[in-house]
Amino acid sequence: MISNFDKLCGDLEKQELEAPNGVASSSTYAQLLAIYLYQNDLCNAKYLWKRIPQSITSSNPEIPAIWAVGQKLWKKDLAGTYHALAAFTWTEPVAHIIRALEERVRERAFNLIGRSYSTVSLDTIVLMTGLSREAVLQICRDKKWELHSDGVTISPTPPVQPSPLHTSSEDQLFKLTEFVSFLEN
Amino acid sequence: MASPLEQFVNNVRISSASGNFRELYEMIGKSEEVLQRNTVHLNTVLETLDIQQHSLGILAVLLAKFSSPQGNDVDRSTMYQQIHDFITNCNGEQVRFGPDLYADLCHLLTDYLIEQKQPIRGIEILKKAIRKIQLFDSQLTSIHADLCQLCLLSKCMKPALEFLDTDVTGIGSELGGVNDSKHFLLYYYYGGMIYTALKNYDRALYFFEVVVTVPSMVVSHIMLEAYKKYILVSLILHGKILPTPKYTSQVVFRFLKPLSLAYLELATSQHAALKHREVFVRDKNMGLVNQVLSSMYKKNIQRLTKTFLTLSLSDVASRVQLSGPAQAESYVLNMIEEGEIYAMINQKDGMVVFLDSPEKYASPETLSILEQQMAACTKLHQYIQEMDEQIQMNPQYVKKAVGSHDEDMPATSQKSIAISTYSM
Repeated sequence: MISNFDKLCGDLEKQELEAPNGVASSSTYAQLLAIYLYQNDLCNAKYLWKRIPQSITSSNPEIPAIWAVGQKLWKKDLAGTYHALAAFTWTEPVAHIIRALEERVRERAFNLIGRSYSTVSLDTIVLMTGLSREAVLQICRDKKWELHSDGVTISPTPPVQPSPLHTSSEDQLFKLTEFVSFLEN
Repeated sequence: MASPLEQFVNNVRISSASGNFRELYEMIGKSEEVLQRNTVHLNTVLETLDIQQHSLGILAVLLAKFSSPQGNDVDRSTMYQQIHDFITNCNGEQVRFGPDLYADLCHLLTDYLIEQKQPIRGIEILKKAIRKIQLFDSQLTSIHADLCQLCLLSKCMKPALEFLDTDVTGIGSELGGVNDSKHFLLYYYYGGMIYTALKNYDRALYFFEVVVTVPSMVVSHIMLEAYKKYILVSLILHGKILPTPKYTSQVVFRFLKPLSLAYLELATSQHAALKHREVFVRDKNMGLVNQVLSSMYKKNIQRLTKTFLTLSLSDVASRVQLSGPAQAESYVLNMIEEGEIYAMINQKDGMVVFLDSPEKYASPETLSILEQQMAACTKLHQYIQEMDEQIQMNPQYVKKAVGSHDEDMPATSQKSIAISTYSM
C-alpha cells in the first residue's frame, strides 16, 4: 500500500486539475496534502493548503489538522509534529497515509541523530522521535548505540550508507565506448 | 447570412479541401474585419464548419468571436467549453499554419480565466495546447508564459515543472523573429518565480539571468523586476551578488542598477532591510528579503567551518549573533540535515566538531553523476553543432556574411569569396 503513494499522488493531482469549476472534493485535497507531507514536499503542500477554497477547509476539520502537522514540519519542530499527529483522530483514507508519514518522520529523525551527534541526551532523542523512554532505549539497543554509565547520555553511530548500486561491466563498457567515440569525432 | 461572410466560409472550404493552408492563412488575415463586424452570425458559421477539416477557419472565427471588446452581445459563458473542445479536437498540422492565431486564442482564454478568478481550470487545457502546437519537446511557444502565469495565480506550480525542466532549444515562429519579446521575457520571469517558490534557487537564478541578459536596447519592466529577484536569489544562494555574464546588455548597468539600489545595498549591510522596508514591501519582495536575512546566519556558520575545527555552541551563537546555544544547535542541526555543512554535535560538552566533506569522490554514485554530466555535455555539443549548421544554411546569414566581405575586399576578388562561403 505504501509503495504506490507516488501513483496515487499523480492521480489526485489530475483529479484536482480536471475538477469542474476548479474545485475538487475535500477527500482529494486531504489525501493530496497528506501525501505531499509524506514525500516531504513542503513547498507544494504549503501552496496546496493556500489554494484549497475556504468553504472546504472550514467545513472539513481534517484538512486544517493535516496542515497543522505540515506547519510543524516546516518549522522543523519535531516534538510539535508528533503532538499534532496525535492530536487528531484520522479517518480513512487519510489515516493510512498519516501512519506512513509518522513512520517516515521518525526514521528521518533517527538518521539525523546518528549523523549529527557524537553524544546526545536521552531526553533529546525522546523529543525528536516522540517515543517513550523505554521505546527509545530499546531502539538504541537494537541499533547498538552505546549508553553511557550515567544512564542519560547516548553515543549514536552514523547510519550505514545503503549498498552501492551495481552496474554491469558491459553497461559501463558501452558508456565508455560512447564517450571515446565522441572525443574522437 | 451576410454575403462577405458566406464568401469566407466558401473560401475556407475550398482551401481546406485542396490543402492550400498557406493561402487560407493569408485570406484569414484579410477577412478579420468581416468576421468582427458580423459577430452575431459567427455561431451559425461555426456550425457549418468541421472542427477537424476546417481547423484553421474555426480558429479564426473563435478568435474573432471572443476578441471583440467587452460589453458586446457575445456570450462568454460558452467560451471555456468551446476553446476546450477546439484545442482537444483540432487538427494540429493545420493550426501550425497560423501559430500566432492559435497563441492569441490561448492568451484570450488565459485573460478570461484570470478575470473569472478560476486560473486552475486552464492548466490542463494549456498543457494540451502546448503539446499540440510544439514540433518538439524543447520548443518554446508564447503559450508557455500563459501556463506559468496560471500556475502562479492558482498556486499550483507542479504542472508547469515538466515544461520548465526542459531546456529550450527552439523557439516557436510566433514568438521569435521580429515579434514582441514580452512572452519570452514573461516565461523566464514567471518560471524563475515558480522555481523560487519551490525553493529550487539554482534554477531560479538561471531563469532570472536569462531575462536580464536578453539583448536589448531599452529597459523593460519585466527585466527590472527580474533583476531585483536575481539579486535576492543570488544572495540567498551564494551570500553575495553574482556578477552578470559579460554578454549582458549595456542598459542593464546603465538603468537597472540605479533603479534597484535598495537591493544592492542589502548585500553590504543587513540594516538595509529595515531602511528600505517600504521599497521591498511595495515590490512584494519582503518574503524573499526575509529569507535573505535568515540565509545570512547559515552563510556565517558555513564560514566558521572554514576557520575552526571545534567550537562550543555558545561561541557559535555569539559569533553569528544568535540568541543562545539552543538556537545555534537547532541551526547547526538543520544545516546538517540539508547537507549544507558536515559536523558532529557533542551535546554533553556543548561542542561542535566541524568535519570535512565525507565525499571521497570514489563511490559509484560519483561515477554515475559523472556519467550523467558527460552525457549532458555530449548532447549539448550535438545541439550546438546542429544549430550552427542551421545558421550556416540560413540565407540571411549567408547574405550578410558575404556582404561584409564585399566591403573589406577589393572588387575583383568578390566572386571567389562568395563561392567559398557558399561551399562551406
